[in-house]
Amino acid sequence: MVTGYGMVTPLGRTAEATFERASRGESGIGYLTRFDTSGLPCRIGGEVDDAWLTGFADAKARRLEKFASRGAQLAVVAATEAARQAQLDAVGHRDRIGVALGSHGDNPTVEEMRFLHRFYDSNGRWDLKGLHDEGGYAYLQFFRRKPDVAMTLLAHLFACRGSTLSIVSACAAGAQAIGEACRIIREGRCDVMIAGGCEATLTFSGFVGFVLIKALAERYTAPEKASRPFDRKRNGFVMSEGAGIVVLEALDHARARGVSILGEVLGYGDSADAYRITDTHPRGEGAILAMKAALDDAGLTPREIDYINAHGTSTQQNDLAETLAVKEVFGGRAREVPVSSNKSMIGHTIAAAGAIECILTLMGMSRSLLLPTINYEFPDPKCDLDYVPNAARPLTHRIVLSNSFGFGGQNACLCLGAWEG
Amino acid sequence: MDQPRPSLNRDDPVVITGAGMVSALGLSVAETWKALLDGACGIRPIEGFDAGGFPCRAAAQTRLDPEQDDLYPRWPRLTGLHSHLLHHATREAIRHSNLEQAAIPGEAIGFFVGMGMVDYRVEDLSSAVQSSLDTGGSLDLEQFYSKGYREIHPLWPLSMLNNISFCLVATQWNLRGENTVFSPHADSGAQALIEGVRTLHERKARVVLAGGVSEPVSPHSLARGLLQGMLSVETQRDSTPCRPFSSKRNGTILGEGCGMAALELRSHADARGASYPAMISGYGFAFESEGEGEGPTASAIARAMRDALHSADLAPEAIDVVIAHGDGTVRGDQNEMDAIRQMFAACLNRIRVYGSKGALGHLLAGAPAVDALIGAEMIREGIIPPTLPLAEEAGDLGLPYIRREPTKTRIEKVLVNCRNQEGQCVSLLLEKVEPHRQARGTIC
Repeated sequence: MVTGYGMVTPLGRTAEATFERASRGESGIGYLTRFDTSGLPCRIGGEVDDAWLTGFADAKARRLEKFASRGAQLAVVAATEAARQAQLDAVGHRDRIGVALGSHGDNPTVEEMRFLHRFYDSNGRWDLKGLHDEGGYAYLQFFRRKPDVAMTLLAHLFACRGSTLSIVSACAAGAQAIGEACRIIREGRCDVMIAGGCEATLTFSGFVGFVLIKALAERYTAPEKASRPFDRKRNGFVMSEGAGIVVLEALDHARARGVSILGEVLGYGDSADAYRITDTHPRGEGAILAMKAALDDAGLTPREIDYINAHGTSTQQNDLAETLAVKEVFGGRAREVPVSSNKSMIGHTIAAAGAIECILTLMGMSRSLLLPTINYEFPDPKCDLDYVPNAARPLTHRIVLSNSFGFGGQNACLCLGAWEG
Repeated sequence: MDQPRPSLNRDDPVVITGAGMVSALGLSVAETWKALLDGACGIRPIEGFDAGGFPCRAAAQTRLDPEQDDLYPRWPRLTGLHSHLLHHATREAIRHSNLEQAAIPGEAIGFFVGMGMVDYRVEDLSSAVQSSLDTGGSLDLEQFYSKGYREIHPLWPLSMLNNISFCLVATQWNLRGENTVFSPHADSGAQALIEGVRTLHERKARVVLAGGVSEPVSPHSLARGLLQGMLSVETQRDSTPCRPFSSKRNGTILGEGCGMAALELRSHADARGASYPAMISGYGFAFESEGEGEGPTASAIARAMRDALHSADLAPEAIDVVIAHGDGTVRGDQNEMDAIRQMFAACLNRIRVYGSKGALGHLLAGAPAVDALIGAEMIREGIIPPTLPLAEEAGDLGLPYIRREPTKTRIEKVLVNCRNQEGQCVSLLLEKVEPHRQARGTIC
């Protein structure tokens, strides 16, 4: 059961604000401001407003702030919102609360690389004495790069003493964290789990990597037009930052303390393409396996699915493979099931995407509103499903799938349900 | 207040049908196990780069030669040593359990790995930086941003992703089922094994390959360990620098290696005639820390061990051996021994404690799987290797539970502990599988 959620995205500082703007089909993408992008073939992304980073409230938390990468700070903003909604403070058994987070840690900055290179000669030798005398590779930087720091911070800030997991499965990490958290609750190991993902790689070194592998959108008339999933003129994804956190809870536990239930994770499945490191399987075989596994886990058939929240990155490969996978799983019904991509508005928040999209999907169910795929202008004859183009659509829907497919070929799928009470 | 205590299904438990290992002491389980029994130590002066400027200059590095490895020779940029370690151990586990003959479809094989940190190699970026230097020799950012970055190999960004070696090995062996990558410390390797067990009990896979791989020993990993205050900085040539539970311990030593286990339900193993020495019958975890970077408290370590016993409905008296995390850190080993004394208060005269890190170094995310496979060997062979350092010392925390010589004894139940520096600890329980239920075709 989901009893709380929170997010911070390029569209808004809260889940409510993000959903509100997304339901109007607004884009959170703009020219990047935090580093100089001149000369790069892609100069856009989805930045989170610095004013939305709240910092750390009490003294104990401030002591931890110095360890917090930007990604971890985003996670804290989202987790604070989720914890408040779930009234997490009121839970007595902190041993029975865990944390599962998809997070990759920050990349080194160019300045840090420059610093390191001063002490490294072309023959592979380090001037370690010089490095040490100059203060070394900053202590805190090591922590900001460690993928378990955001998770540890959340455990400390929210007094969680159960299991803590740090998951680094690229774009599938957020969804996998939610799925693994559900398994821990289902097994009876924890009553409550804080789960989700965070990502903040809009720095030069984080960004240029994706430029180099030519994964980013390079042809666009305006930043907000660049992310165009399933559209014929799509040509790459748009990188964004953000965090999404849910509070998951065993049904009996949620009922016993009278907290409202916002939705349900019915099933979880994952798979690996085992195809190529740089390419998605052309027929979406990994995606098919993940969707089928999530349905099996939920004990449901494709007939019962009302909507699919797509991975929909706006790359040629992904959107075609995902479309083919949906057709394979849903057969003749594929065109009847609405499929939309939140990334058309938010961009791709990598490890946070699965969590943010899980939350927006739950919110859409409770409000009977399908969020649109914006920038859908030129139909691609190969992508011929109902992508909820350009405008949100009122529709009662109760059971859905949310897809997350990662670099390298790791795939995850969550089956979510509206809570019937 | 009583909490629900979930127990694992003992009628059809998860058994270990294959094992793969790379360590400083060998390139297979058998090689490593033999060297451990001989009391060998894999910790040596660091090779491969000049560590002379660091206050810690020793590590337990593997002798694995990536040039001899057949993993993606076309992709040298992607394949750091950790990829080769993972590949090598996974291959051994697959072959050991006869998985290739079993013709199990890739989508029915789960793959769960705890992965050490992935660091960038300075040489991957050097040319980009050097082509962007101004006449005074400092980096011209404008030059770097506009042109220099193009010198970076286009695959470099992929090599920086934490999951890339995992995906390479999954592709190599067509492992397409349930999967997750955890990172970066010892707890993540144990979580990978636990997730594998859970996946099998939920019948989401027929076979699971699970374990963990260390970081390569590099200037980055060494600097990180030193800055975290984990490493032993007094590397006298005539002594073992990593001294778990010894009164002279002063920190851990980094090790390289990987442990991978092939896991399946006993019914599945029996049906295909696979043999197995042990089952994973329980696990527990807890998170609690006092200071920064000092690891979990004694009460958290005790809670993880207690939950592991509960999940197999066992009392502490049933345990024969505890394979301690025992990394040789001052506070960490003290907390762990306090937890062991508290937990096994009623049976301190018979419990035996073993630690591998004096011989193998600290494999971080690779440590729990290596220790679990050592536990399986103990159960199979009925012998506990000597815990290094070999000489006992006054004030040795381990006395009398730790033996500094090989000990032959009946071993049926082994508890494996691990922890990270932030406060998470995990315990795994291994048990001998009852002989009358052993599969046909087992060679005794």
